[in-house]
Amino acid sequence: MTMKKFLNDPSDLVGELLSGFALAHADKVKLTENNLVVRARPKHEDKVALVTLGGSGHEPALSGYVGEGMLDISVPGEIFAAPGPPKLVEALRMANRPAGVLLIVLNHDGDVMSAKMAMEMAEQEGLNVRQILTHEDISTGPRDKPQERRGLVGCLAVIKAAGAAAEQGASLDECCRIANRMERNMATLAVAVTSATHPCTGDAISEIPQADMVIGMGQHGERGSAQTELKTAHETAEIMLDMLIDDLSVKKGEDVLLMINGVGSTTLMEQYVVLNSCKKILDSKKINMVRCTAGEFLTVQEMGGFQMFMARMDSELVKLWDAPCKCPCMAT
Amino acid sequence: MLLGAVEQIRENHARLSELDSFGGDGDHGTTMLRAMENLKNSVASSESGQVKKLLGEVAWAVMGTDGGATGPLFGSFFMGMSNGAGRGETLDCAALASMFEAGLECVCKRTKAQVGDKTIMDAMIPAVKEVRLAADEGLGIAAILEKAAEAARKGADSTKDLQPRLGRAKNAAEQSLGHEDPGAVSVSLIFKGFMKGALNDGG
Repeated sequence: MTMKKFLNDPSDLVGELLSGFALAHADKVKLTENNLVVRARPKHEDKVALVTLGGSGHEPALSGYVGEGMLDISVPGEIFAAPGPPKLVEALRMANRPAGVLLIVLNHDGDVMSAKMAMEMAEQEGLNVRQILTHEDISTGPRDKPQERRGLVGCLAVIKAAGAAAEQGASLDECCRIANRMERNMATLAVAVTSATHPCTGDAISEIPQADMVIGMGQHGERGSAQTELKTAHETAEIMLDMLIDDLSVKKGEDVLLMINGVGSTTLMEQYVVLNSCKKILDSKKINMVRCTAGEFLTVQEMGGFQMFMARMDSELVKLWDAPCKCPCMAT
Repeated sequence: MLLGAVEQIRENHARLSELDSFGGDGDHGTTMLRAMENLKNSVASSESGQVKKLLGEVAWAVMGTDGGATGPLFGSFFMGMSNGAGRGETLDCAALASMFEAGLECVCKRTKAQVGDKTIMDAMIPAVKEVRLAADEGLGIAAILEKAAEAARKGADSTKDLQPRLGRAKNAAEQSLGHEDPGAVSVSLIFKGFMKGALNDGG
């Protein structure tokens, strides 16, 4: 089937999308000459800066989270592909300051490799940068092998917590500590029902039979771990929550943050239905859903399905989650 | 020699993307094409006749390709070649072998992959070994590169029967059985391009 997307020149797709994004949110972000997304009003130099990198095609991630209380610079790559190290080094140079820079990296091979090379160069240049890797996809590896776990929508919770701390003047050590605590206490599981089309090649990035769903599908259409017939929202929520609770060893009486991230064509209506089912199931397990949200935070074009994110929360993390932020695509 | 690689990738990028669709997101050909365009532009704008400097500029340009691991890996190969190259404007056969070995070594720093993991290494390791063997035998540059291209092609072919153990493709291990690894095929195309380029311009 011919791809039905409103596009111009596929080779300039990322440039066009970033220009449009900057126009739409001109009060909060701007685009540098070399397509880095930065805050419209830079953060004070004595506060820690947050930088991230990632492929495009996942809008509003990740550039939608540049703004007050969140990121300082986002380094967008090509469609579904990490930016190269030179661009990232440039961003780190730009962000560098005595207070330090925290680089948030999602665990995908390309991003990790670019980040590793950029960190080596940053070190040679004496830049004050620390890195945190987010890897919370429970479908690709066990908890004791975090290197096998992909980084999904959980990066948003890490950006939110560390970003709020940085805005409040926390030191680089402190920001790292908070980012690590959020990272260790979070887990995500994805479910997909329909594939996405790669906007440059026009090809489906995966195939899912009409009546099925795939639990554990990654955000580039990598095939997941379990394919079964499509179930109701409640049944799906039950399966996924059990896996997340088990992974995090969440006990009765503990507090969790729950996020339903629609990945493209699953409607907000469905996301709310799923969230409501989650609340009922968690209530029955006596687990407190202290905060929750639903929406499109990190998408995969028009893929159908959602990512279910859970994090064990303590009072400090809840406070940071509630802290004000002003970025294009998230408000608290 | 370098521009021969650009031609090979340009002619075959659709096939590379198709191969990538079995285990990845189907954009490897597009990415490689972009990397090679960057390579071509950097060669065109380079003012230096020095092999070392030219390769350094090429490495930086390829590395700057936004394409996941592709840019850093192929960029590292050229960066290593630059580190291993002498300061002259031409290459003898022994220098060529040292240069390729340094390129491989630099890629090894970036990935744990070995032969058999269904990655670029399945083509790159045998190709570089072959360069050294052929150089030690005293063959000329074109003959060395011909042997290397053949070894890379065989290596890429061998990935058909392998299951990926590293990289994003490992999450779709079974789907990619029966298809070559697109990265390995890219390496074999680049070596084929080096060979054709060397036959055409000798440099």
